[in-house]
Amino acid sequence: MLVVSLLSSDSVLDAKKQDSDPAFVRLRNPTTDEASLYMLGAGDAQMYEVKAFEEDFHSWFVGQTVQRDGRLLFVTPMDPLFLILPYLIKAGKEGKFQPVDQIVMDEEFPVCSRLLSCTRSLASLHHIAEEKEVGSLKFHRYSQEKTMNWLKKKVERTVVALKKKNISVGEGVKSTTYIRVKSESEYHEEDYLRYAHGLISEYISEDLSKALLKHLQLPELTSPKETEPPSKKRKLSGNAVEAEEDYTKFNSADFARKPPKKMTAAQKTLAKVDKTGMKTMSSFFSPKGKTEKK
Amino acid sequence: MDLGPFETDNSVSCRLASQIPDVCKTEDCCLGIDEAGRGPVLGPMVYGICFCPVSKKQQLKDSKVADSKTLSEAEREKLFQNLDEAKSYVGWAVQILSPNTISTSMLQRTKYNLNALSHDTAIGLVQFALDSGVQLKEVYVDTVGPADKYEAKLSQLFPGIEVTVRPKADSLFPVVSAASICAKVARDRVVKGWNFAEDMGEVDTDYGSGYPNDPKTKAWLLKCLDPVFGYPQFVRFSWSTAQTLMDSKAVTVHWDDDEEDGEKAAQRQHNKSMLSYFSASAGGKDQNPSHQTHRFLTERRLKSLCTL
Repeated sequence: MLVVSLLSSDSVLDAKKQDSDPAFVRLRNPTTDEASLYMLGAGDAQMYEVKAFEEDFHSWFVGQTVQRDGRLLFVTPMDPLFLILPYLIKAGKEGKFQPVDQIVMDEEFPVCSRLLSCTRSLASLHHIAEEKEVGSLKFHRYSQEKTMNWLKKKVERTVVALKKKNISVGEGVKSTTYIRVKSESEYHEEDYLRYAHGLISEYISEDLSKALLKHLQLPELTSPKETEPPSKKRKLSGNAVEAEEDYTKFNSADFARKPPKKMTAAQKTLAKVDKTGMKTMSSFFSPKGKTEKK
Repeated sequence: MDLGPFETDNSVSCRLASQIPDVCKTEDCCLGIDEAGRGPVLGPMVYGICFCPVSKKQQLKDSKVADSKTLSEAEREKLFQNLDEAKSYVGWAVQILSPNTISTSMLQRTKYNLNALSHDTAIGLVQFALDSGVQLKEVYVDTVGPADKYEAKLSQLFPGIEVTVRPKADSLFPVVSAASICAKVARDRVVKGWNFAEDMGEVDTDYGSGYPNDPKTKAWLLKCLDPVFGYPQFVRFSWSTAQTLMDSKAVTVHWDDDEEDGEKAAQRQHNKSMLSYFSASAGGKDQNPSHQTHRFLTERRLKSLCTL
């Protein structure tokens, strides 16, 4: 696969002045709670997420070789707080202030302690946690309120980015080659907020995502799946089934043609159709000249 | 016959033509169409037309043009020489369909089969003669596919011209024989002096007749098979001979219009079985039911990874 890195001037690969090389690491994904691939820059200064473009029927020609795997890897900067957050939440359930290096610990992913070396980590912990200083030591405790405000800001900044990049947030699918008559401005602010919330939810747990939705004052959408009628057959009640319509009217005198006794519901509705001016079906098959009286 | 224009780029279709004799622009003319190199797995297919005034038919017959298949290569070259020398009343044109054109036509997304390609080439050449001012009254064609259908198609396209489509037309009408000689000579020359665009390395160019049943051709096809790219453009990829060899000896390549078994294809494309829509627990069987990746990512085919 090919690796594309969309990196700023403090390049991941600028290892000269740093004491450790950039490395791919496996960390706990805050959304799925399972392992995902990330990258720590030189000297662990910056965190990067790794996303792969993957579509069927793609391969690479690289120089004089063929790469069967047509994947394209993107290594993009990421806020380490997203990965630290689940550990803080977990520790926060105990309600105590704790030193952060005791909070961010994981037997399954020991690498996670390196997240704290990132330049932004300690400096921005106050966005999601309350701080207490005792002497030279700092203690932290998760704060839901702070976190919500921090996430809200993230959503708002994402909205700005979505607008700037002209990303279609409506329900319809937009083609880049299709010229729209209506301008993009018809999107409601709520569409942008929902879309941005969805994107931020790629980095937080489901519980947090729901809480954020409330915090943004967006009502939860019911998925069409839930509104679907039950697919099981309706249970029969003990009562006798009664017809919903009075079919006896067809037998009354003012109904011109008496339908034969056994007719299906569809035939009955057809029989009710106004037939004036219509030819009978059989007229199409009879020899010419014999037109219907009607 | 100057093959220069074709040899500068032998990956495309190319038309070569003689000068149009002045007499053809004033007198009623007859025209014959024939092709060479329909069957071989190697080299181009060449369509030839030859035309002369109806009044000169006998003269053409006397020049002893005959079905190109009954002649040796030397005899064909000699007869073509004769035709070229009779330029006061005989004109010709050939359309060289490169093997690459044939491959890409037959293997493209909307399939364009060899018969359609043949018909269109023949029609193109007749149109070329008309556009050049040849007073066409009679057209003779060796058939491709059912003769009456082809005849009806051509008659409709060229009203006012009497179209005759016959099997074995090349041995019945001298003007078709002449066209077949032009086509065959052009093909022989192109195949003999094929300029390989590819770096063929050690592989020799002793490829025999180019027909699939020629042992020499088969041996050559085996020798020059590249596991990744298959063959040089000289080979018609759409021929089953080439395809069978690539299927067994080269790397498997999947295209998104490959025909697959319905169920298998659906599964690979992560489509749901139709039945799942009717069962009680429709959906909800994704790998991670709690989390649905946001459409920003799915629309862009972006995924998280857990290993490199």
